[in-house]
Amino acid sequence: MIKVDHLTFSYSKNPFIQDMSFSVSEGEIFGFLGPSGAGKSTLQKILLGMLPNYQGSAVVNGTECKKHSSDFYESIGVDFEFSTMYEKLTARENLRFFSSLYHRQARSIDELLQMVGLQNDAQKRVSEYSKGMKSRLNFVKALLHDPKLLFLDEPTSGLDPTNSRLMKDMILAEKNRGKTILLTTHNMQDATELCDRVAFIVGGQIFAMDSPHNLIMSRGAASVTYTWYDNGEQTASCLLEQISEDQQLQRLIRENRLQSIHSSEPTLNDIFMEITGRTLV
Amino acid sequence: MRFKTLLLWDMKFQARYGFYLLYGFLTVFYIVLLLSLPLSWKENAAAILIYSDPAAMGLFFMGAIILLEKSQRVTSFFAVSPLRVIEYVCSKVLSLSVIGMLVATVLAVATNCRSLPLLLLGTFLSSVMFTLLGVIIATKITSLNQFILATVPIEIIAFVPAVLHLFKMTPAFLRIYPANVCMDLIAGRDFSLIGLILTMILIAVLFVVAYKCVGKMWQNQGGVKL
Repeated sequence: MIKVDHLTFSYSKNPFIQDMSFSVSEGEIFGFLGPSGAGKSTLQKILLGMLPNYQGSAVVNGTECKKHSSDFYESIGVDFEFSTMYEKLTARENLRFFSSLYHRQARSIDELLQMVGLQNDAQKRVSEYSKGMKSRLNFVKALLHDPKLLFLDEPTSGLDPTNSRLMKDMILAEKNRGKTILLTTHNMQDATELCDRVAFIVGGQIFAMDSPHNLIMSRGAASVTYTWYDNGEQTASCLLEQISEDQQLQRLIRENRLQSIHSSEPTLNDIFMEITGRTLV
Repeated sequence: MRFKTLLLWDMKFQARYGFYLLYGFLTVFYIVLLLSLPLSWKENAAAILIYSDPAAMGLFFMGAIILLEKSQRVTSFFAVSPLRVIEYVCSKVLSLSVIGMLVATVLAVATNCRSLPLLLLGTFLSSVMFTLLGVIIATKITSLNQFILATVPIEIIAFVPAVLHLFKMTPAFLRIYPANVCMDLIAGRDFSLIGLILTMILIAVLFVVAYKCVGKMWQNQGGVKL
């Protein structure tokens, strides 16, 4: 679906995107993670055919991005982090207008509104919508023409836990419908939960690319932390893979003196910081 | 097909934002004003009114329309949709020209103008010219104040010579000046053919500039901010 090969791009003399290569398969959810100014926005603009002056190759849906026609966007849906609606029009009017820009009109507006729980607010002007409602409306706007490829930017940003869950379920449902999804998020929980693979981008380069599970497992072994009482609460840790060698832990288990025991894995954020030396801010 | 739909939507937005209502009131006001003027003033007054308002409305309203779209980030979405810049610009130009021509027709009929076809041609050319200028300026600015300031020089070079020309206070060679050609057409007078060709060329140049400015605006605004 996407194949990027030795991609280099620059706004000035210094390269901004440096020799980047990766591919995204059909039906995959691929996450871009990186701090502000890392090059994610530029990369996304290149993949959306908006920055044609690049070196190397960036092929989306079989089309070299710098040579695309307007039909290129018939199979691409973009969900921006911010609302891109006419505030004075109703939700339904907005969806009708934006769907009229596409030749392909494969999804029913009513069904989409129902899917995000906005069917009863369809006649309300968008200016009356809350941030969460606008996020959901923006999401279904990207689905109007049933695109093969979805670009999602911080799709759960500003949503309460219920709506965030709803949004993640909808993203997974679109994946199950066979869509390829490029996701950018600062929410590591979302990335871990949703993405088949993620790429850590810093300074215009990919530092690591793998599934969240592999990244976590390859870099940091899980550890076990336990507490017991001995003249006050005592705490100790050992690696999960060496748990059988921890004599103290075995003794505490035999004597039934453990007060608590927890296993913990490093988070994707820990791995990101370890690999790139940067935080995701 | 997409262009036709886009044009209808643009007109619908303009109706929703009250453009048609506003020009309905203004048309009634202008008719009352023109009918109350002495007969000898009526013809020139109607020409000035039509040239400076319905024909030139694109210059002022395009700023408001594009600023509104920019503020609501709709242009960011256009950048990643199949909509083409040429369709966007043509739709904006034609949708505002429709209102201008409707108002001009009513005023022309109310004041028994000399030639309705010439008046409509003049109104259309002026409207296209002014709307394209409005598009170009609107893509470059970020606030309504900036827009108002940027339109002042255009008002001076587009309105002052045309009004002076209407009262025959300009040298003969300025008959080919596009603003004066449009004024001649609106007033139903003889017009310069060379001037008309120059006006067409000017419109073509403005169209190319507007096309490039909108494309650049979409490119800068569009994409996903990550």
